[in-house]
Amino acid sequence: MTSPASSGQALTPPGRPGHPAYRAGILTLCAIGVGTLASLAAIGLTEAVFWLNDILLIAPRARVQLDAQGYLVPVATVLVPVLGGLVVALVLRHLSPVHRPLGPPDVIEAVQFERPLPPLRAGIASTLAAMVSLGAGASVGQYGPMVYLGAMLGGLVRRLRLGVPNLPAISVACGVAAAIATAFNAPIAGLVFAHEVVLRHYSTQSFAPTTVAAATGYVMANVVFERPALFLVRFDGVEHGHEFALFAALGILAAGLAILFMRLILLVSARAAQSSLPALLRPAAAGLALGLAALWLPDVLGIGKETLRFATIPGAFAPGELAVLVIAKLALTALCIGFGFAGGVFSPALLIGILFGALFWTAIDATALVATSGVAVYAICGMMALTSPVIGAPLTTILIVFELTRNYDITIAAMVAVVFSNLVAHRFFGRSLFDVQLARRGTDLSKGRDRARLAALPVSRFCAESPIIGATGQDLEDLRARLDRSAWSEAFVTDPQGRFAGVLDRQAAGTTWDEALRAPARRFDETTSVLQAMQALRGFVGDAVPVIDSRNGVLIGVVSEAAVIEAYLDVSAALRREENAVL
Amino acid sequence: MRFSDAITRCAGLLAGLLVAVPAVVAQEPEALTVVTWGGAYEAAQKTAVFVPFTEATGIPVEVKRYSGAIGSLRKRAEAESWDVIDMLEADAITGCEDGLLRKLRHDEILGGLDRAVRRDFAPTRLRPCSLPQNVFATVMAYDDRAYPGLKPTRIEDFFDVEEFPGKRAIHRSPDVILEWALMAEGVPAAQVYDLLSTDRGLRLALRRLEALRGHIVWWEDAGAPARLLEKGEVAMASGYNGRFFAAAQDRGAPVSVIWDGRLIGTDVWAMPVTTDRPEAVRAFLEFAARPEVMAGLAARIPYGPARKSAMEWIGLHPESGVPMRDHLPNAPQHGARMLVRDSVWYSHTEAIRERRFEAWLEKGGG
Repeated sequence: MTSPASSGQALTPPGRPGHPAYRAGILTLCAIGVGTLASLAAIGLTEAVFWLNDILLIAPRARVQLDAQGYLVPVATVLVPVLGGLVVALVLRHLSPVHRPLGPPDVIEAVQFERPLPPLRAGIASTLAAMVSLGAGASVGQYGPMVYLGAMLGGLVRRLRLGVPNLPAISVACGVAAAIATAFNAPIAGLVFAHEVVLRHYSTQSFAPTTVAAATGYVMANVVFERPALFLVRFDGVEHGHEFALFAALGILAAGLAILFMRLILLVSARAAQSSLPALLRPAAAGLALGLAALWLPDVLGIGKETLRFATIPGAFAPGELAVLVIAKLALTALCIGFGFAGGVFSPALLIGILFGALFWTAIDATALVATSGVAVYAICGMMALTSPVIGAPLTTILIVFELTRNYDITIAAMVAVVFSNLVAHRFFGRSLFDVQLARRGTDLSKGRDRARLAALPVSRFCAESPIIGATGQDLEDLRARLDRSAWSEAFVTDPQGRFAGVLDRQAAGTTWDEALRAPARRFDETTSVLQAMQALRGFVGDAVPVIDSRNGVLIGVVSEAAVIEAYLDVSAALRREENAVL
Repeated sequence: MRFSDAITRCAGLLAGLLVAVPAVVAQEPEALTVVTWGGAYEAAQKTAVFVPFTEATGIPVEVKRYSGAIGSLRKRAEAESWDVIDMLEADAITGCEDGLLRKLRHDEILGGLDRAVRRDFAPTRLRPCSLPQNVFATVMAYDDRAYPGLKPTRIEDFFDVEEFPGKRAIHRSPDVILEWALMAEGVPAAQVYDLLSTDRGLRLALRRLEALRGHIVWWEDAGAPARLLEKGEVAMASGYNGRFFAAAQDRGAPVSVIWDGRLIGTDVWAMPVTTDRPEAVRAFLEFAARPEVMAGLAARIPYGPARKSAMEWIGLHPESGVPMRDHLPNAPQHGARMLVRDSVWYSHTEAIRERRFEAWLEKGGG
């Protein structure tokens, strides 16, 4: 039997890891370095967006001060998102080699398949586009770009080739953890997010540096820059036991809304790609719709910090107003993201969720059938129950509530809503918007990362080095002789043009090619993955399977059954090593 | 540092004297018209600033009073030949943008303007037309006799006439009370101005104020709230911390201050464009901005000096011997919930807030 020609890029060879002290040192330095950079970048992005919001008259605090200047504010409301959209389209077209904004799905894909992230230039252009989008008030989120920015900085470590196993994935996770820790002022959530969404496993080797990076982010945010907690809420606890049933119901309803939200984003994105509107004008068109809507509903502009707060105050919105805002924000976010503004879905999900939670409470309160503990807890439950399925991270969401509000009672309530919401949305939609987006690009993570990795690995990479190959233009007996001398029991035959003709068995009778050849029991093509190969080999008896180019029938190579099994074992072993690595 | 400080002070003093000398020669020196707020505050200023200034420079000070409104600056400044005005920072910003105030040469007044000086004044800022002088707090206070049992402790209690019955004395202005109304809704201090910038925020604040309708006694003169409490005409009042302190310390009035939710504001000196004596004004500002002069004021009425370097000079109240630092708005034991006035925002939103406030008043009076 022959061994695979090459073990492939996707499989990390165990190699010769350095001394444990060396590895520990590298991991620590990497965690602190990446953590500091990612944290500074997150703060920088936040500040840049604040500044832009201020000078571009998106922030209410800037708008009100120019209220007396006649048409200035309304004109800015429409023009700023339109021009912002134009700038975003130009930045992505001319500065980014991939011509699209990058986000968490790209990070997940890179980490799960041990690939490098898209080129640095694409990341910088995407961050710039996100900054302009957010600054110009587009209805998109800031955390997606922040996660990408952190990951991008972590991704730089890969270039250093430091010889520590799994380091590229860990440093990317460090960047993500620090960015979230800083952005939300929530180090525990940052740490868990990096594991739940990006790494998707818990090993000591990655847990320790990620924790250090998250703590670094926290130190930068809290000690160095003294940023306040994001969303302090005063709440004295859930007063009635029956309310937990209401939280669960809210969770289930929020899941429905979350599914609608995610489907709408996917639908608009798909439709936008087919539309006749030139890509350069698409974000501007979304900006125009947003600006016009904002003349009437200023709450839809930007991240909506003020609206988030209002939703926790009883009576701040009339019930009709809440319903209209939920729908408007949902539709405009799908429009902005689908039409090419750069930004995430997290912040809009928070806003839609909190308004929905407030609406739910208003409805319950109006019936006067059951006593409640006030709007705040329902608003927050709604907020988290809607967000959790979108990012596919229930544990992170629960911890974010805890760290944002610093309120234990609200966290317990939100936990119930989150878990029900996640359950429903996972069942009827998928683990998260990111995963479904990835699946549409051909990367399905829904059955676990081992399967995804096997599915991403083409079996053609494992072709045997020296199979017995003949061609119908040659002499049949010569080939028989070569086969007899070899360890193989089958030879693979092509026609003179290289197209696959059939299999010649050692025992095959016949004197002409036509009599001697038989069709292969299994055949693979250039797209067959190791996973498909494993499934196809069930019940297979024989040496090897030909890999035939599906486009022209040319024989690419021959894969032995053993090579497929080895590839499978290698992937499993690599994952097992990664998931159980201590240092 | 010390040495250079001394040099600059001497130089400033000399400049002041140079201005003063021709006036002295003219036998009857023309008085400098300083406009301020009256009451305990004016009394403290007189002892700590005006009298020592005249002693040092020979320039007499004539005091005029106003209630702080920018309107009176427009109407009265020229007719009454105002020279220096004690103003709220927000009003000074408005006055500056409207061309009513003269730009100040901070470098000349402070004897150089390097980072150390700016840091000494931080977090207050040296804006074009204003020189920060002190930091005051607008706080709520209550009549001890009105609440012998359960006592109000939080901003929320000010709006709760069921738990804490009695009239409320409130400044007849949208300043402060709207901020308090939102804080009482549970809005964190850091977000108050963001929310008040929206129509919804203003609506919510006025809705909260609605709970007090029929229980309000409006005041315009800064000395009024302490007097109203003292006379038992109201049970709770909003007002400046120094006035309440003076009522309790000097007159023994049964007035307790609640520091929760206090609004920190900056009081500044400014010079109207109509003054004909800019040199004398500069000498006055140079004198008033000295740390020891600032500290002298803070020792008599608990408004924190705008310069950090003045803090070390503050000791006991000269008459009562009360340690004054505990009564300054920025003393740490007053609790975490406080809000620093955004003077620029104040200045630029006055019209809209005023409009909404007046509309609310018209809906049914106090």
